[in-house]
Amino acid sequence: MADAKPKPPILEVERLTKYFGGLAAVKDVSFEVREGQIFGFIGPNGAGKTTLFSIIAGALKPSSGKVRSRGRDITALKPFQLVQAGIARTHQIVRPFREMTVLENVKLASHFGRKNVTSDSAAEEHAMQILTWFGMETFAQKSASILSVGLQKRLEITRAMATEPDLLLCDEICGGLTHVETAAMLDWLRRIRDRGTTVMYVEHDVKAITAVCDRILVLNYGRKLSEGAPDHIQQDPAVIEAYLGHPPGRRQEG
Amino acid sequence: MTLIEFVNLLASALLLAGIYAVMSVGMTVIYGVMKIVNLAHAGFMMLGAYLALELFERFRIDPILAALLVFPVMFVVGRVLHWLLVRRLPTSDQPTLASLLLMFGLWLVLQNLGYFIWGNADRSIYTSHTLSLLRFGAVTISTVRLVVFGAAVACMVALHLILNHTWFGRSVRALIQNRYAGQIVGVDDQKTASITFGLGIGFAGLAGALLASLYSFNPDFGRPFLIRAFVIIVLGGLESVSGVAIGAFVLAFVETFGILFVPAGYQLALSYGLLVVVLIFLPGGVAALTAKVRRLA
Amino acid sequence: MSTSPAPLPIRLLAQWRTFAPSWMILAGLAVMPLLLSSPNFIRLLFVTLLWITTSVAWNLLGGFAGQISFGFAVFYGIGAYTTALSMNAGVNPFIAFLVSAITAAAASLLVGLPTFRLRGPYFAIATIGISEAVRVVMTNLSFTGGASGYRIVEHRAFRQLDHYYTALVLASIAVAFSVFISRTRFGLGLNAIRQDEDAAAGLGVNPYAYKLGAHALAAALTGMVGGVFSRYAAFIHPQGVFGFQTSVHILLMPVIGGIATIWGPVLGGVVFGIVEEQIIASFPEIHLFIYGSMLILIILVEPGGILGAFRKLLRRIHGRR
Repeated sequence: MADAKPKPPILEVERLTKYFGGLAAVKDVSFEVREGQIFGFIGPNGAGKTTLFSIIAGALKPSSGKVRSRGRDITALKPFQLVQAGIARTHQIVRPFREMTVLENVKLASHFGRKNVTSDSAAEEHAMQILTWFGMETFAQKSASILSVGLQKRLEITRAMATEPDLLLCDEICGGLTHVETAAMLDWLRRIRDRGTTVMYVEHDVKAITAVCDRILVLNYGRKLSEGAPDHIQQDPAVIEAYLGHPPGRRQEG
Repeated sequence: MTLIEFVNLLASALLLAGIYAVMSVGMTVIYGVMKIVNLAHAGFMMLGAYLALELFERFRIDPILAALLVFPVMFVVGRVLHWLLVRRLPTSDQPTLASLLLMFGLWLVLQNLGYFIWGNADRSIYTSHTLSLLRFGAVTISTVRLVVFGAAVACMVALHLILNHTWFGRSVRALIQNRYAGQIVGVDDQKTASITFGLGIGFAGLAGALLASLYSFNPDFGRPFLIRAFVIIVLGGLESVSGVAIGAFVLAFVETFGILFVPAGYQLALSYGLLVVVLIFLPGGVAALTAKVRRLA
Repeated sequence: MSTSPAPLPIRLLAQWRTFAPSWMILAGLAVMPLLLSSPNFIRLLFVTLLWITTSVAWNLLGGFAGQISFGFAVFYGIGAYTTALSMNAGVNPFIAFLVSAITAAAASLLVGLPTFRLRGPYFAIATIGISEAVRVVMTNLSFTGGASGYRIVEHRAFRQLDHYYTALVLASIAVAFSVFISRTRFGLGLNAIRQDEDAAAGLGVNPYAYKLGAHALAAALTGMVGGVFSRYAAFIHPQGVFGFQTSVHILLMPVIGGIATIWGPVLGGVVFGIVEEQIIASFPEIHLFIYGSMLILIILVEPGGILGAFRKLLRRIHGRR
């Protein structure tokens, strides 16, 4: 941890705490996300994943603690300012603009994203490029409301990527998808990482997370339980106990 | 200001607060459960006032008793309107454009109904004790105000008991907290919404009927009170019944003592000023403030 | 998709076909009073043009951005009084209209700044609050004559056509604004805010600034209408220009015509301008009832207004073929 850093990390969370009423949903959580990683966090229901995610995404204010990106304090930034700082997000429940076409959805992101494209035609061109990259170009003129759930989820990611982020925050993008669709979605995450965007990924599904992530943070009762590479996490007795409710001894997967 | 003047003002602020609370609580329950701002609230208050007047003039029913009779009538009116119109609105956890416009349209219709039936002359309810005063040492209080205050407080207590000790009350509180979770554990949200809407309209009518004993009124009667009700529920945090009581007291206090500093014509501007101050400095209302205090403690 | 990234004005020119009907309507309106010079008819056209302008202005905020205001009378009234006071101080009327626009836009911040930051019904609530508060204050304000009103003295002969063409230019500006905005980044951002404010913010739109901007623009246009009206009427009073009725009218027109469209509010303004004359004249005692029932009906039956119903009809006809 204390080794000399060539560059400050793309995301640095320092002692983040959030109270609701008297209850701490997140307590004293710290971690770092390095550039070029897919960083995942998991935890049982009510572990504080969503709260932590919302704070980083600027949707909630923490009670205390700091969030930094490349050394810059971004704790108080609003979602639209985060986009300008190179951080985009997807929503757990997809939120396409239903009265717009797929292209218009993405064009909006091109306009308002980090590129700040003001010209209508340049934005359209940019949006088409991104749509093509995600293999969605055939749906460009379709209304966003008629897409299947799988495609709506892909649109959600496409749209976020059209803001040209350095860090993409993904909230449970595989919920409600079939096995095949999940595998495809995870593949998109890898391609996004290989394209140069760091990914922070929250998921309920342990299998999906361990399959795709380079590094994983495990939350339990709002606290950090464990952190490390997927192998390390899967071997960690504390994690196994939190998930399966009994001490290690038996095999984790059954 | 002498101490006696101060105590007198304080007493009248307190009496006003009781009426303000009962006036605003109907809006709060409807907003809490259905996320609908009842812009027609003023119209229902006006109807309540005229119903009380009719009961008093035709059947010689005491105005306070009449107000209590107005409640069930308006409750039924509310449920019928819910069945006719409100249930057709898309449900949402945010106030929608459609719900705002619908309730606004309803308000216009009610106002016109008032003009149509009762004309636009100012009316009022005069009884033998309208002008009588009670003295408690140095404090002088209008008898009617005290009785109205008593009735208002009794109704608030009754509502509090209903919300905290009945099955319906539990459903209401569940839906206020989390609509989804409420439905999952088996709350019939349509039925609860219908009863809530009836209750909200019932309270609007009751408040109008009680106010009819204090002020003269016409079909445009509720409008200045609508804005006060807004200020109060925003102060109270929109969804909290106890917040309403506190909000009502704050507004009554500011208005009563504001007379010392602001000419009477500008009182409504004072309410708006208070609304703006609350929105800037305390957007969650008193409820958010108490939560914060509790955490610090 | 788009092959040539031509600048917007050129592309608009290239789409002249789309706008040909609007140019023809505009030309028709420009020569109309010369052919039919009945003062009463010109007055009706003048009033309708003013209504159209407020309707289009309201739609910028209520339609495009989805923020319902019940208090546009505030801007109308502020515009009317600003022009009246400026003109009596010797200011040229057209400069007075601009001053009205600026004052009204500044007043819009009074409602927008505290409420647009927050989620929930605060904005709608505050608009009702401020329109009542301002009306009451204006009724008591002595230097504008309070409730008894204020007279404008113009040292020029009254020429109805001057007023008519002013209104025509203003209405054209409003519609042009509406068309322009709907095709730019600003309009796309507003549209996104109406549909899902959080999702819009998550893609880089600043909802607070955008809502404030749309509100100020709508207020400025409405303020100018108030100014043009007060110069025409030469006498204004708070119960009129700041009246609750004024707010109701301004809100009703775009809803009738079709919210969040370009031509819906214009259509609403035309229908209202003509029908209102008749309704008020024939059934003054039930006009609120008619307005209210119209709102309820539109919301429950066809939220897209006349234009929405018309489009549905067209689609049905095409579908049958």
